[in-house]
Amino acid sequence: MHRYPHRLMHRCGFPRECTCFIVPPFLLDEFAKKGTPEQQEAALNAIAQSAAIRARRAMLGDLAKMKGVDIAGLVPARAAGAEDRSVYDVEHGGYNDLPGRLVRSEGGPASSDDAVNEAYDGADSTYTFYKDVFDRDSVDGSGLALVSCVHFGNKFDNAFWDGGEMVYGDGSNQLFIAGSLTKAIDVIGHELTHGVTQYTAGLEYHGQSGALNESFSDVFGSLVKQYTLGQSADEADWLIGAGLMVPQIGGKALRSMSDPGTAFNGDPQPAHMDDYRDLPDDNDPRHDNGGVHINSGIPNKAFYLAATAIGGNAWEGAGKIWYQTLTERLESTSDFTHAAEATIEAATDIFGAGSNEEQAVQHAWEEVGVPVAVSA
Amino acid sequence: MRGRRWESRSRSRREDAGSPLKVTITRGGGLAGLTRQTEVASDALPPGEAAKLHELVEGAGLLGEAAPRDAPPAHPDEMGYEVTIEDAGRTRTQRFSEQTLPESVRSLIDWTDSRPERRG
Repeated sequence: MHRYPHRLMHRCGFPRECTCFIVPPFLLDEFAKKGTPEQQEAALNAIAQSAAIRARRAMLGDLAKMKGVDIAGLVPARAAGAEDRSVYDVEHGGYNDLPGRLVRSEGGPASSDDAVNEAYDGADSTYTFYKDVFDRDSVDGSGLALVSCVHFGNKFDNAFWDGGEMVYGDGSNQLFIAGSLTKAIDVIGHELTHGVTQYTAGLEYHGQSGALNESFSDVFGSLVKQYTLGQSADEADWLIGAGLMVPQIGGKALRSMSDPGTAFNGDPQPAHMDDYRDLPDDNDPRHDNGGVHINSGIPNKAFYLAATAIGGNAWEGAGKIWYQTLTERLESTSDFTHAAEATIEAATDIFGAGSNEEQAVQHAWEEVGVPVAVSA
Repeated sequence: MRGRRWESRSRSRREDAGSPLKVTITRGGGLAGLTRQTEVASDALPPGEAAKLHELVEGAGLLGEAAPRDAPPAHPDEMGYEVTIEDAGRTRTQRFSEQTLPESVRSLIDWTDSRPERRG
């Protein structure tokens, strides 16, 4: 299920004491088959000690089986349905240094470092949202340990889900205000939702499927914030990353779901298919993998329209419809039309054919110009 | 007399700093999905810093033939980079993803970001 390959491992090459690496499956396999007995044992020990690797229980299980080791003795047992967070300090290292030094574990005392505590609390907001609203136990639905890594890189202007853990930069004050990236629970929800998508629809990260991947992250990122603040659809600001960008960018947020294209000066997001940006899916950094952060404005607006038409708390109406769509109805290459039809089918399934909810969803897609051919 | 002195000083500056060189860095993607372009030109730099720029560009292997970047994004919201080097009438462009960005290129980008003479 890992659509984003792990190429993360420590340069130290499996010293017995090292607790700080994540081994990509191909390398693990290599060591298991061809390594010396010491390398095999060191690899197993180090993996077992790494909280991050609990994300890869299946892989560990296979290896343990091969080595005839009881996995229960290696990985601490975790109560079903309980949260399992840890925060690591990358200490300004890069990919090869992930996850870094363990600085806070589930239930452990607060750190003196705000970024550590913010990442820890932010992961909780997302975990609690998915658990309470959709009865989903963590990103993978099976209690995946939520690992956050802070202080990645040097004034790094980004935060991301790397396929197994959360990674936060400090911000450079050129784009993001220094220290802001761990403060925004909608951004944390956005990133962790990339993990949910990875374990469910697996939407490919380019073109329309990529724009949907982005949009689902914005939708549930915004819902994490609305749920945490107790805001109804009418009360919410429908912004992603409000207050994170430096004032020179001249904006209020990264994206606006209610009014795409207005979040900052030069915001390129369209709100309607008439303004869809057909960008090449090449490796030009200007093209954003075929506009995944650009065209996401269209499905974002559709969600906003559906949620406000339905009214009340967005996570109870439109949120439920979009959740069922993401987790049960889409595939990796789904496009906007497929997503639109799937949401209408989900609305019909949950609220009934001809229900206000189903009508609201249908009208929302019509309003943003996504063609839908569905007999609900 | 004065003119000649100035001429010879500027020649020795050029010798210290090498031939004129311009570096353009374009970043895109990331959580924000924004494109940002930064430029630094050796002739806008003090001689010692211009020499440093040459050293970083050479050290990063950016004067050779560009290798095509064929890796798709390793994860959502990954940043992408394009580095263009212009010197002596030649232009060379290379692209990297965050995960494949060599440390030597990252050093060049960090150094460029730290220079007050940069544009963008």
